[in-house]
Amino acid sequence: MTQPKLELVALRKEYDGGDVVAVDGIDLTVERGETVALLGPSGCGKSTTLNMIVGLEEPTAGDIHIDGRSVIGLAPGKRNIGLVFQDYAVFTHMTVAKNLSFGLEIGGLPRSEITRRVGEAAELLGLSSLLKEKAAYLGGSQLQRVAIGRTLVTQPAILLLDEPLSNLEAEARQAMRRELRRLQGKIGLTIIYVTHDQTEALSLADRIAVMSAGKIRQYDRTSTVYGDPAHVFVAGFIGSPSMNLVRGEIRRDGPAISFISDQLQVPLPSRFAGVAPGHGEPVIFGIRPENIMITRPGHPGVTGIVSSVEPRGPEAIVTVRSGNKSLDVVVPAADRPARGDEVVLRIPADHIVLFSGETDRNLSLSPILGAAA
Amino acid sequence: MTAHSDIAPSDVSLPAAPSKDAVKKRGTRRKALGRTLLLPGQLISLFVLVVPLLVAFYMSFTDWSPTRGALSSAQFIGLFNYEELLVYDTRFVEAVLRTLVFGVVCLSLEFLIGLGLAVLFLRRFRGKALLFSMLLTPMMVLPVVVGYTFWMLFQSNGPINQLIELTLGAGAAPDWFKSAISAQITVVVTEVWHWTPLFFLILLSGLNAVPENPVRAAVILGANPRQVFWRVVLPMLLPVIVIAFVIRAMEIIKLFDEVFMLTRGGPGSSTETISLYIYKLAFNDFQLAYGAAAAFLVLIGTLGLVHLLLTPVRNQLLEARG
Repeated sequence: MTQPKLELVALRKEYDGGDVVAVDGIDLTVERGETVALLGPSGCGKSTTLNMIVGLEEPTAGDIHIDGRSVIGLAPGKRNIGLVFQDYAVFTHMTVAKNLSFGLEIGGLPRSEITRRVGEAAELLGLSSLLKEKAAYLGGSQLQRVAIGRTLVTQPAILLLDEPLSNLEAEARQAMRRELRRLQGKIGLTIIYVTHDQTEALSLADRIAVMSAGKIRQYDRTSTVYGDPAHVFVAGFIGSPSMNLVRGEIRRDGPAISFISDQLQVPLPSRFAGVAPGHGEPVIFGIRPENIMITRPGHPGVTGIVSSVEPRGPEAIVTVRSGNKSLDVVVPAADRPARGDEVVLRIPADHIVLFSGETDRNLSLSPILGAAA
Repeated sequence: MTAHSDIAPSDVSLPAAPSKDAVKKRGTRRKALGRTLLLPGQLISLFVLVVPLLVAFYMSFTDWSPTRGALSSAQFIGLFNYEELLVYDTRFVEAVLRTLVFGVVCLSLEFLIGLGLAVLFLRRFRGKALLFSMLLTPMMVLPVVVGYTFWMLFQSNGPINQLIELTLGAGAAPDWFKSAISAQITVVVTEVWHWTPLFFLILLSGLNAVPENPVRAAVILGANPRQVFWRVVLPMLLPVIVIAFVIRAMEIIKLFDEVFMLTRGGPGSSTETISLYIYKLAFNDFQLAYGAAAAFLVLIGTLGLVHLLLTPVRNQLLEARG
């Protein structure tokens, strides 16, 4: 029972005879009981991947294993996968009970078993009092419960959720997020979320696969994806505001190594000596806004002018212009400078991330850790 | 006829205004202006719709006939016409029942063929656009022309009989208009040919509007295409189906032109519809008052029928938004 629940092997999907590559050979392993988020902007191929896992679309190449068995060519209904649609796709002409029992009736289960399982699912999702309601009269979060319940009663091996929270209002979103966590703990489901919302992914998933342009850029623990982005795309996509990225090159002066661009000149710690490319080679310099510190003029660091201050409750996002490049800095709201102030930015060496200017990969991570391109 | 609704200007939402009083004042003034502007239209519809209707309604309680002078001089006979129609006039009752049977047979066939065609049109195939236009054409032909054309086609030496004799041998072709049942068949065939396109069109647009994701959800839950169709697609299509039936039911109760051209209601009265009977009452026998009473009975019956047909989907239609 140690085999992975779901395994995607070099999965590829082309449209229009290869003119459009929606999914460009991705590998992904999901363990039993794990919660994984497929995160990426719209058009990155995550929905196509989802459709292929479910069986609504056939891959052009590659393989999909569920419980160690290839499901290519298997009808969607035979894959033992549940999918909760973004718009829930509840059967509005049926009652809640009928919605929940749909998959079981199709499967030809005995009446008593259907009633038992529907009762259980309704109990679990707090739908017991709504069983006789027509689904057309339900609200957003109730519809979602019905959609989840309708899938859960069929006891799927894997539950896929397409943008599960994006159609809910902020309050219902919080509640549903907690609820999904609770459900997951209770029945130990293997869950895959597809989402473009990083907060959703970060709060729900054990591991995140960040996708762009049909490729998985990084597949890692949630904290790693945030702390050690493997790819420039991941660095720019995760975090709000996202990581500051500056294109420039490496300067080597004996044992000393530094990053240099038109605006920025930052000495690099010795840990980069081994991994950074040679003198004059292009790199991308990255630093998270919350890691930069603002000091007054006179201190050593990068000098710039505050071009905007955006308060955000306890903190503020300060944009500092240095030359023709802007850097975002997150500071406690009380310490925020005013617009037009001259400030000096201190960039702590510990938090610097360097990406290759050619492959966009994190130079400090061995290529094996990052997803294969 | 129901009373036309008064479109109150207050139904139009206004942008936020400075004070409540000002809004009220302006609202009242706008309302008054709205009423004034609507007056001519209402007066016209009053004279065109309501007055004749009331006159006819009054007429149905008299023994008036145009051969006997002015309506004002006609004798008021209360519910006599209605009693006569419902209790003694078997020809009227038969015409009503016959029209209903025609309705059930024709609408069932139109629905089944129309649904089949609509489902076929969900797929891609060669010549779809052309076939689509061709299928819609019958609907656009004048009923009189359709009736005349099929009268010609069903002649004892007409094209249909020639085809039948060619395939089934000489003597196999019936004389369509000579027996009750075959004459009734010509009416059904003509009506179905003429109005199946309407069902097809309404059902096709309904099918296209069925949301995709519930269908996919059913597929993922293991439903086969037949189960998806019967359990998900068709129920979601139900309001559209009912609307199609209501529209056609109201039409077929008024069935006249095609039958008039095909059989004139014959042989005997075997294809006589309500409209045809009322027409004969009014223009052959000049019993206008009696005909008016029959027409009112039909109107009441139609209202009841439409009400009944709409019952299963009324809630869905009225509360769909929410």
